[in-house]
Amino acid sequence: MSVSGPSGAIVASPSLSAAKAGRFVSLLKSLIWIAAFLAVVELLVLVLGIRPYYLPRPSAIAAAFWATPQAYLLSMWRTLLETVIGFVAGSLFGVATGVLFHRWTMLRELFFPLFVVSQTIPVIAFGAVVVLWFGNTLLAKAVISFYISFLPVTVNALLGFAAVDPRQVALMRSFGAKEGQILRRLYLPAALPQIFVALKLASSLSLIGAIVGEWFGDTTGLGVLLLQAMYNENVVGIWVTIVASACLGIGLYAVVSEAERRIVFWGAEQ
Amino acid sequence: MTDMSIAWSEDYACGLNPGARGLAGLLGPAKAVQITSEPAWGSSGDNPLIELRNVSKSFGPVVALDSLEATIHPGELVTVVGPSGCGKSTLFNILAGLEEPDPGNILRFRGKSSAASELLGQVSFMPQRDLLLPWRNVIDNAILALEIEGMPRTQARAEALKMLPEFGLAGFENQYPNQLSGGMRQRVALMRTFLFRRDLMLLDEPFGALDALTRTMMQRWLLDVWQKHRRTVLFITHDVDEAIFLGDRVLVMTARPGKVKLEQKIDLPRPRKADIVTSPEFITLKKTLLDAIEEESMKSFMTSGH
Repeated sequence: MSVSGPSGAIVASPSLSAAKAGRFVSLLKSLIWIAAFLAVVELLVLVLGIRPYYLPRPSAIAAAFWATPQAYLLSMWRTLLETVIGFVAGSLFGVATGVLFHRWTMLRELFFPLFVVSQTIPVIAFGAVVVLWFGNTLLAKAVISFYISFLPVTVNALLGFAAVDPRQVALMRSFGAKEGQILRRLYLPAALPQIFVALKLASSLSLIGAIVGEWFGDTTGLGVLLLQAMYNENVVGIWVTIVASACLGIGLYAVVSEAERRIVFWGAEQ
Repeated sequence: MTDMSIAWSEDYACGLNPGARGLAGLLGPAKAVQITSEPAWGSSGDNPLIELRNVSKSFGPVVALDSLEATIHPGELVTVVGPSGCGKSTLFNILAGLEEPDPGNILRFRGKSSAASELLGQVSFMPQRDLLLPWRNVIDNAILALEIEGMPRTQARAEALKMLPEFGLAGFENQYPNQLSGGMRQRVALMRTFLFRRDLMLLDEPFGALDALTRTMMQRWLLDVWQKHRRTVLFITHDVDEAIFLGDRVLVMTARPGKVKLEQKIDLPRPRKADIVTSPEFITLKKTLLDAIEEESMKSFMTSGH
């Protein structure tokens, strides 16, 4: 966006709506691409005579969904809830520990290695314990989702804080700013670009956490559907669940990206 | 700090405004320029705003400042020049309260002995880079210090809005720093410094990164604003012309370890026009200062072994 005069604000507005139109076009483009891709797959399956056991036709997958949409939508809703709770908790916890570790190096030295070690325990091994602790509840799945998603946020928040210009901190201090003011007005916003990189990663991770969490026992959710379909060798059912999970994952990622675009409008400029 | 020791004299010869040369109103009954190497103030009645006696600062084996003495009176615009790495920025950091000088110093602020840290929030400080926050627009960057003081945002914004035209930023209040030119960003930073109303303003090479033409414009503009608001200003520069053009007094610092080598009163009449830099008085002053600086630059050149 270039500024040519005092009327810069007015100059900027048409380019803003142009950007909006550009986004709409790119959305339309990707929709067309997906449709084309599905058509090609459908055709290939038919022409090459691939058995449904290996790859069902996309139309068959869609038909299976339409046969019992209620079951799939309910499962998606349940998994979405678990994911969102885990993701939000993980993000907040990640930023909070980032702040603590940045502020008190002692804490970082004590606990950061522990954080890293915690992530080397596979979620599968940990999941059984969580279900034992929290029972077969939504909360248990959210905890697993949280467990798998917070560390990238902690790490990136720390990276973002460390990259803050010390001269900027000195300037704030020369204005008589207290630690809390410097944190709110400088460190947190300055680290946002880094934090959002981690949030995008955490959004996918927390979905994995929720689905895996459901494997330890539940009655609804995409993870449950996946297991049931697998045990019944219901290949089409597996594929419907895969597509449903993909939709959830893409949706979450898109929401976080859109939030990033709106909040971190200045980019990573220093 | 970058090494600028060779660039003293030809720093911005092209920055002169040729159109202004004819208006030699100041060459009329030329006031004799009094050149004093000895500080003639201090004995005068008014109390100094800030007084530094025997201020030293070392970082490990490096002595940045060595028993520096300086006095600044209310309403003065004092400029500081010196070779690169002479501890100018260390001096500023001490005055801004960001660094504590070595023990044994005397630092009086409004006649009261103080630790440097007591000056935190007492001095409005502008570092070399504009350091604007990219997520805040012009107005919100300008009110940063007011906000930290606890003034409600709406009130601070209203106050800043009134000041915008004076800083040549009218109509730009909603722009973000990445939409502004270097000179405008610098004016936003200056406005932030001005809005933080303190008795002493510290400006650390505020125009150092600007091109010569923008810089002369900014200097004249700063003089206008300063004459209107009458704040006490301490202004670091590596540019002798700038130091003379702006200052009531120029402090020349020695090569590291830094102390005040020469204190030069500048008796050029105000308001000063751009063409004053070609007046004989200006040239005489410039020669005195350049001689002093050159000696120090050579010293720092030899010792740093570039």
